Amino acid sequence: MADGLRFDFIHFMHYVHLPENQKDFPSLWVDFPNRYFDPERGHALYQRYLSELVLADKLGFDAIVVNEHHNTAYSMMPAPNLIAAALIPQIKNAKICVWGTPPNLEYPNRLAEEYAMLDVLSQGRLEVAFPLGTGMEYWANPINPATARARYRESIDIILQAWTQEGPTSYYGDFYTYRYLNPWPRPFQKPHPPCYIVGTGSPETIDIAAQLGFGYASVFVTKQRARELNEKLRRGAAEHGHHLRPEQLPLQVITYVAETEEKAREEGIDHIRFFFEDALRTTPTFLAPPGYLSVDQLKMRAALADKLHGKFNFDAVNESFFVAVGTADQVVERLEEWGENMGTNHFVFLGAPGNMPNWKVVKNMNFLAHDVIPRMRARRAADRRVAAE
Amino acid sequence: MPAEAFPAPFKRDTHTVNGLKTTLFSAGEGEPLVFFHGAGIWHGVKFALPWTEKFRVIIPIHPGLDGADDDPAMNDFHDYVMHYLDLFDALGIDRFRLVGFSLGGLIAAHFAAGHGDRLERLVLVGPAGLRGKERPKGDLFSLPPELIPSMLVSNLDTLKPYLPENPKDLDFLGARYREGGTLARLLWEHPYDTKLPRYLHRLTMPTLLVWGEDDKLLPVQNAQLWRQHLPKAEFQTFKGAGHLVLDEKREAVDAVQRFLS
Repeated sequence: MADGLRFDFIHFMHYVHLPENQKDFPSLWVDFPNRYFDPERGHALYQRYLSELVLADKLGFDAIVVNEHHNTAYSMMPAPNLIAAALIPQIKNAKICVWGTPPNLEYPNRLAEEYAMLDVLSQGRLEVAFPLGTGMEYWANPINPATARARYRESIDIILQAWTQEGPTSYYGDFYTYRYLNPWPRPFQKPHPPCYIVGTGSPETIDIAAQLGFGYASVFVTKQRARELNEKLRRGAAEHGHHLRPEQLPLQVITYVAETEEKAREEGIDHIRFFFEDALRTTPTFLAPPGYLSVDQLKMRAALADKLHGKFNFDAVNESFFVAVGTADQVVERLEEWGENMGTNHFVFLGAPGNMPNWKVVKNMNFLAHDVIPRMRARRAADRRVAAE
Repeated sequence: MPAEAFPAPFKRDTHTVNGLKTTLFSAGEGEPLVFFHGAGIWHGVKFALPWTEKFRVIIPIHPGLDGADDDPAMNDFHDYVMHYLDLFDALGIDRFRLVGFSLGGLIAAHFAAGHGDRLERLVLVGPAGLRGKERPKGDLFSLPPELIPSMLVSNLDTLKPYLPENPKDLDFLGARYREGGTLARLLWEHPYDTKLPRYLHRLTMPTLLVWGEDDKLLPVQNAQLWRQHLPKAEFQTFKGAGHLVLDEKREAVDAVQRFLS
């Protein structure tokens, strides 16, 4: 990482053993019946997914990334801190990114405690993100979506106060009262683990990242929109006196690498299809519980819905989103271009998309680790030599 | 082009109370009759025209709904009662007849429990807010927006003039979504009011309870919950009418008028 480049591997831990009639369900989120979860198969999937993340560390990825969702076959991680805790003893070098638990879904003091535990356990290798949580989480958890943004903002303040001020302190807010905010343990990193916000580009969330000088990762937005958001955040952060570093803008890329472009498409596309068409399938009502979005955002997203949630078309997805499927050279080309466009040097590989089997995930990771990443590092080193001459 | 939701002689006024710009529609002369509308008023108030021949009908738009300004700090029914105390003071209305429909029935019940001395008579039409053993059949929050109109009426023709031609009309969806946020502040945690039964004994004014027999949103069985707490209230149901019983049955409008006269 001395060259500033950073490569993470993110895992969503989908539950992939869906019933044959799964297409009959308009949503695999919120109300998709949990009788379709088979604990035996779930156990095997956990074993496999954990082994893939351990392999990412062995192959030299800079960080492994996990996140949180509820009531869905999309994710077997309703509690990503448990996954992080299981991984810490097995992961020797990589950072551990919990991106993250929506603060609204835990008591803020408890989230501050859990993250501090992970940071101490890993000797300061934790990074965290504070998502508002998808609309779907608010159908699954007993938190009012209409006040979610205000509560979220207050939770972040409490967590930062818990981490940056020696306790006991107190906090008297609109949602939470702490007479003794004094969490043990305190984080290993000072003043606290690096923080990001992950979101889908609501202006309110970007503003929070700008105010606090946090990193920001946009997910499920088009390339053009992601670029606009990064620019908006850089401007906003500067207005608040923060200089946003390139590594604070992680860029999530769906990637599959193989020997030839044809082979990469042949082996990869079906699983990317599953990711978009099945794993992400949900209803407009679940996506936008009342009060969760501003009316402008709701109208903007409703206008886009037909484009995003239509029949899967790889070329359209490939065109609109950050998708790199091809040879190592092709993937390097794309990453270089996007890195420059987006003003980042931090890439997050979504390299186990959808129902991709273990052998393909391992193959993909090996290509990334042995061909893509070293080529990008070599180019960066060559650029530096040129600049030095 | 949807039909006029607030036809003449209704006229629109705005008043600023406690810093909040509020909207109300009024028509007619005589003693004041206040109508608290339900969780949406896009279907209009045409049904109330007969009342305007006898009363000064006042229909305030609840803050955060339809064209009324919103105050995000209003997040419980007490806030609405206090808002209406301010508004009625501003209008110079002391005693009046109050009709509350659905969500408006719940607000009316709260108002009546606290300020019954100001009410001549009270009508609750398909009021929301009491908790039955069963989960409410039609949870407005979880219903997809395109299904809501058909849950409100027995015959969808009643509502068609007020619906946009394109069911995905962004302005209509956006306006309803805004209202959903207002309602969620009041009702997301509990789509009922756990405290209300404790105070319903204070509704000692003459009271009429009205329900549509084909109500799909709050089935007529809910009336029994209210009647347990309001044993002296008169009770009338109407066949062939859904939740919007006043919009669907002129007989219901007339029954309310007779009771209030």
